[in-house]
This record gives sequence, C-alpha cells and structure tokens, in this order.
Amino acid sequence: MITLLHDYQASRARLFKEYKEVQREKSADPDIQLVCDDSNIFKWTALIKGPSETPYEGGVFQLAFSIPEQYPLLPPQVRFLTKIFHPNVHFKTGEICLDILKNAWSPAWTLQSVCRAIIALMAHPEPDSPLNCDSGNLLRSGDIRGYYSMARMYTRLAAMPKKG
Amino acid sequence: MADDEDFPSSSDVEEPEDADCYLSDQYDDNAENVLQYLEDGRQEDCNWSVSSVITRESLLAAQKEDLRKIMELLALSEQHARTLLIHYRWDVERIFELLDQKGKDKLFSEAGVTNLENKINHSLSSFNPFTCSICFEDVSCSVITEMECGHCYCNECWTEHFIVKINDGQSRRIRCMAPKCNAICDEAIVRSLVSARDPDIAERFERVLLESYIEDNDKVKWCPSVPHCGNAIRVMGDIYCEVECTCGMQFCFRCLSEAHSPCSCLMWELWVKKCQDESETVNWITVNTKPCPKCHKPVEKNGGCNLVACICGQAFCWLCGGATGRDHTWSTITGHSCGRFKEDRVKRIESARRELDRYMHYHNRYKAHTDSLKQESNLKETILGKIAISENKDSRIKDYSWVMNGLNRLFRSRRVLSYSYPFAFYMFGDELFKDEMTPQETDLKQNLFEDQQQQLESNVEKLSMLLESDFQEFSDEEVMENMKHVINLSSVIDRLCKQMYLCIENELLYPLQRATHNIAPYKSKGPERASEHSSRFTKATNEDIDVQHGSAVNASGSPSPAKRLSQFQPSSSSDGKHGCSSTKRAKNEGSLDTPLFDLNMPAEVVDKSWT
Repeated sequence: MITLLHDYQASRARLFKEYKEVQREKSADPDIQLVCDDSNIFKWTALIKGPSETPYEGGVFQLAFSIPEQYPLLPPQVRFLTKIFHPNVHFKTGEICLDILKNAWSPAWTLQSVCRAIIALMAHPEPDSPLNCDSGNLLRSGDIRGYYSMARMYTRLAAMPKKG
Repeated sequence: MADDEDFPSSSDVEEPEDADCYLSDQYDDNAENVLQYLEDGRQEDCNWSVSSVITRESLLAAQKEDLRKIMELLALSEQHARTLLIHYRWDVERIFELLDQKGKDKLFSEAGVTNLENKINHSLSSFNPFTCSICFEDVSCSVITEMECGHCYCNECWTEHFIVKINDGQSRRIRCMAPKCNAICDEAIVRSLVSARDPDIAERFERVLLESYIEDNDKVKWCPSVPHCGNAIRVMGDIYCEVECTCGMQFCFRCLSEAHSPCSCLMWELWVKKCQDESETVNWITVNTKPCPKCHKPVEKNGGCNLVACICGQAFCWLCGGATGRDHTWSTITGHSCGRFKEDRVKRIESARRELDRYMHYHNRYKAHTDSLKQESNLKETILGKIAISENKDSRIKDYSWVMNGLNRLFRSRRVLSYSYPFAFYMFGDELFKDEMTPQETDLKQNLFEDQQQQLESNVEKLSMLLESDFQEFSDEEVMENMKHVINLSSVIDRLCKQMYLCIENELLYPLQRATHNIAPYKSKGPERASEHSSRFTKATNEDIDVQHGSAVNASGSPSPAKRLSQFQPSSSSDGKHGCSSTKRAKNEGSLDTPLFDLNMPAEVVDKSWT
C-alpha cells in the first residue's frame, strides 16, 4: 500500500513538472499542442500536425494519453482519436504500434517526446509490423501511390477542417 | 528329482557375453554395481550422456565453474560474467566461439556488458545540485547513482525502476533507464537499493539470478515432477537422453515430457496434442500462444502489431512464428515474407477420412499397450505374493529374482512397444516426412519396421503370459523350465528392442534430408538414474567445495553462505512437504551433513566413485 501511494505521488509530481514545462515552452514546438485534462492529471490529449511531404500534411490529429500510476517507469498508453490510414495504427481503435511505447520505453522519455516520436512514425511507417494490414500490404507490395492516395483521402476526410 | 550338484543356479543359465544382470543373492552389492555399470555400456556408447542432480543446496556451487571460466578468460567481474552467461544461455563454448568471430567489444555490447575502458570519468560531485531527468527533481549528489554505462539518476527512480522490472519478471535483464541504452544494470547496485526498500523483492531478485543457471541453460532443466521435488538435472554430453531424477520421475531430458523413445520429441508432442484434442487448456494455448523460437516458452500476444517480443528478448513474427530482428525499415524487411499461401488445402479434405482411419489404427494399438502396462503394474503385487509363497515352500529353488527381472524387462519393453506405434504413425505418414521418401521407399521401410515390431510384440506377449503363470504351485522342474524361458525371452526381447532402436536411428531417421529427428539411445536398464550428491565422496572434495563456496560469496559481496543457503534448504522436519516419498527424504537428510556435491568434477571422477 505504501509503495502504491508512493508511486502515485511520484507520477503525479513528475506529470506536474511536465505540465509546467509544456506551459513554459508552448511556442518551442508549434507542431505539438499538449493539453492536460482539467480534473485528472492522468488524462492528456494532444493535437499534432501531420508532417510535411507526407500524405498527412495539412491535417491535425488528436491523440489521447492514458497514463499509468507507475509512470514514468511504465509507458503511457496512447491512441489516435482522429481516424488515420497508417500501417502502424489500428484503423478502428487508433492503437499505435511503436517500440518506445512497448518494450523500448525509457523513463527518460516525456509526453512531449512521445508526440515527437509519433510524428516521426507518421513520416516513416514500418510496413513489416502492420496493425493496419491493408495499408501495410500496399507499402510492402511497393504500391506507394495507392498508399499515398488512401492516406491522403482519410486525412482530408477526418483531419482537415470541412470546407464551407 | 535331479541330482543336487546338477541343479543349475540362475547365473549358469545366462549367456556370459550378454552380461545381462540376472544375479542371485550370492553376489554382493559391490559386484552388482560393477556389473550394472558395465551393462549400462557407458564406455562403448559413442553418444553418451552423464546426468547429475542439482538440488537447491548445490545450485550455487554448480554455477561457479562456468562463472569462473568466463571470469578468468575475459578478466571480468562475477556480475559481468553472469550477465554474459545469461545472455548466451550459459553456453561457455559458444561464448569462446563468438569471442573469436565477433571480438570482445561486440560480444560484450550485445549482452549489455559495459566495457569498463570506455567509461567516462567524471566525479559525481561536479553536478551539485543534480537534476534527475526521470522525476525532474533537484537532489543532492549523495543520493544519486551512476551506472557503469555513465547514466546517472536519483536513487528513488532507480529503485522504482528495479522493482517494476523485477515484478515484471525481468530480473535477469534489467537495462539502464536511458533511452536506447543497452547496458545491464550492476547487480550489486540493484541488490543494495532494492533491499533498502523491500527485502522481499530483493530476495526474489537474488533467487531469480541464481535460478537463471537452470532456466536459461540448455544443459540443465527442472525435474518436471508434480508436486515439484525441487531438483534440477544437469546433463553432460548428448542432450537426447532419458533420465530418472532421484525423486523417481523418469522423463525425456530434451522436452521434459514422459520418456517417449523411440518417438522423437516432435512426434511425441504432435501425438499428445492429437490424443487430447478435447483438452481445454491445450486448446487455449494452441489458439492463443505461439512458442518463442529462442526459449520455446508459449508467448501470448497482448496487443500491438505482429512483431512480438518474448520475455527472453527474442522478437518474432506472430503470423509464422519465425524469429526476426527488431529493426525494420521501409525497404529492408528483416527475416521473411510469411504471407504466401500454401495450396495443399484442397486435397486435404479428400484424404481426411483415410487419415482418420489410419490414426485410429495406430492409436488403438498404442492404447492397447499402455492399458496392458497399467494392468501389468498390478501384476507386480500379485507376483510378490507368489514369490513369498514360493520362498517359504519346501523347495530347492530359493532364488526368485528372475521373476522380478523378467517383470522389469516386461515393463520396459511394453513401454518401447507402445511408443513404437506413434513413431510408426508419423514415420510412415504424410504429416512429417512426405517429401523425404518415395512411396516405394516408405513401403519397404514400413515392412522392415513392422516385421521387427511384430517380432517384439509376440515375444513380449509370451513373456507376459509366462509371468502370469501360477508358478508357486509348480513342481521344481516346472519352475526351472519356466525360469529358463523367462530368462531367455528377456534377453531376446532386450536384443530385439536394441535392434529396433538401431533400425530407427540408422535406417529410418538418419537418411532424412530435411528434417532432423533424434531419439534417446536405447538403455537396456531403462532411463539413466541421475547421480546425486552422496557421502561416497571423499572428504577432500567437500573441503574443496567449502573453499570455493566461501570465496565466491565473498567476491560477490552477498550475505554469508549459511544465510543464503538457508533460504533454499527445506527444513528437515517438514517431511512430505515437497511431496517426495519417504525414502527420498531419508536420503536427502542424510546428505545434508556433507555440505555440497561438487558438480564441477569431471565425469570420470564421478563415475569412479560409483564403482
């Protein structure tokens, strides 16, 4: 019980520090906008901009963070709330397959750096470990154009402001 | 009634060159040991293996030699040697091999051993106050710890990290907290920080490190007895063998299931799965897990993509179960493409019916023999009764050891016979070796094998019949007749079994081109009994171990040997607590006085002390 309480406080303190850091350096990384839930410091959302020269360019994607009590020793759970067509993101649930969110997690990563890693993943998909098989197969078979147009379509549909 | 002098003793009947061990009481124990030893044929067997039991008490000593070899050769500390050995599954020869191929630096970095020469030297007091980059707190430099890789965090964060990893079952590979840092944390630091917070978890860490010698080692395995007897078995030489633990459990060392030769492990695994199709647990495991290609533990996929990582660190593809690297990029896909469709589905439906008939044929015979074996186990009681009556009878025949010898031969050969059916099922079926043999070859070999099987079968049934006869009511001449038959049949059966194994090894399995199937060699006396530590060893050896033990513990800076051992020693008063028979407990208690059995002794020395 004491250990649990301790973890709880440690993770809360660390998240609070991250929160202050985010507030202080809001303009440092214009692609990422991290927001903490008003009533629960273990729930965060983020808005990230699709990287340029990718089919996601121009889109704004929303991520949901659910942070375990043993954070930062255990990784946060992150998923896309915005629909996205990407080999390493589950099309229905938004689950992300990224090594640093699983076994390559290091407590020295922050929520901010996780967002940066996700942006990097959007620019460099890994078709060999697909959560979205359709997308992965397009890339694996070398149909870059097919992948690009599908991803572009979903970016337009889901991640861009509606015209008119 | 025949002449007194002509009355043959049982030892006259046996053929000397067979050296089969049907001894009468006149031989003393010593001579019997020598003969048994000769009969085991360890000397002439080319694929020999020697097994020994590692108890909780001798586990520590057992690791020492491997650790010492690595420490001396590579000039490493004990903990670095352990990290290296855990990573390479305690295979000392492989480490030496890789040292030549890869060089020291690569060998070390892959295992997560920090090369001390590369260490950046800066004094910790230079950062004061120090900001820990995990909790972002400013702390005094007295409560921070720098790992050998040069990464430095506060003690609080380190401790939390260690506890999370230990609770997650990763005690043997606790990595540094820095991103992408591969270094394994110093076990002394883990020990001291964790024990300050929670001694129970520290003890668990200690135990898991110790048990790594068994769990991460291909040459040492836990005895699979249920309830567990607490022993592990180490085999030197060929790992394809069947052993008997001191608790009486007989098992295949390779796959830890019951002794199943002449089936290969794969055949047996398939057979067991086939036979218990309805078993829910097996169903669940086959549906929800895949065996890791490195450590073969069943792995459950708990989310994420199809690149799955086992707890042992091996990554593999969930779709095909093949080992892969962790790295994959846009253009290079490490490993394989497993999405190809195999088009033998269509034909399978037609042959399913035939296949089922075939399975039923073999399964019925397999079942018939295992059932006979069960019934014959009851025979033992009856026969002991008959022997007791016979021995009290006013007769010239006082030695009835031939009955028990015959019975043991019956059990062993019955077992061989029953396992020969699943073997034949897979050997001559399409499932495993379809591409290995032409149909003509298969027919030819099947005939050859079935001839041998039939011969063995008819002899085994004859022996069974003879042993069931009511010899206590026979006249002396009839008993003599019966005895001669039993002894002759026993040696015939032994020879037939041996021939069958040789035929399987040389004619059937050896010519296979693609698949490799190995079976445990035939042992006339049944599975080899693992030697246990016993008071037969000389005093000098015991002292030697004491010294080794003491020095090793000092080197690692861990608690005193007595304290450490007491954690693993079953208390001598708690009989039956470990579910062992009373005889086994008695043996163990006796040997507790003699400190430890030196598992590091060369095999010849161990063997000599037995003769």
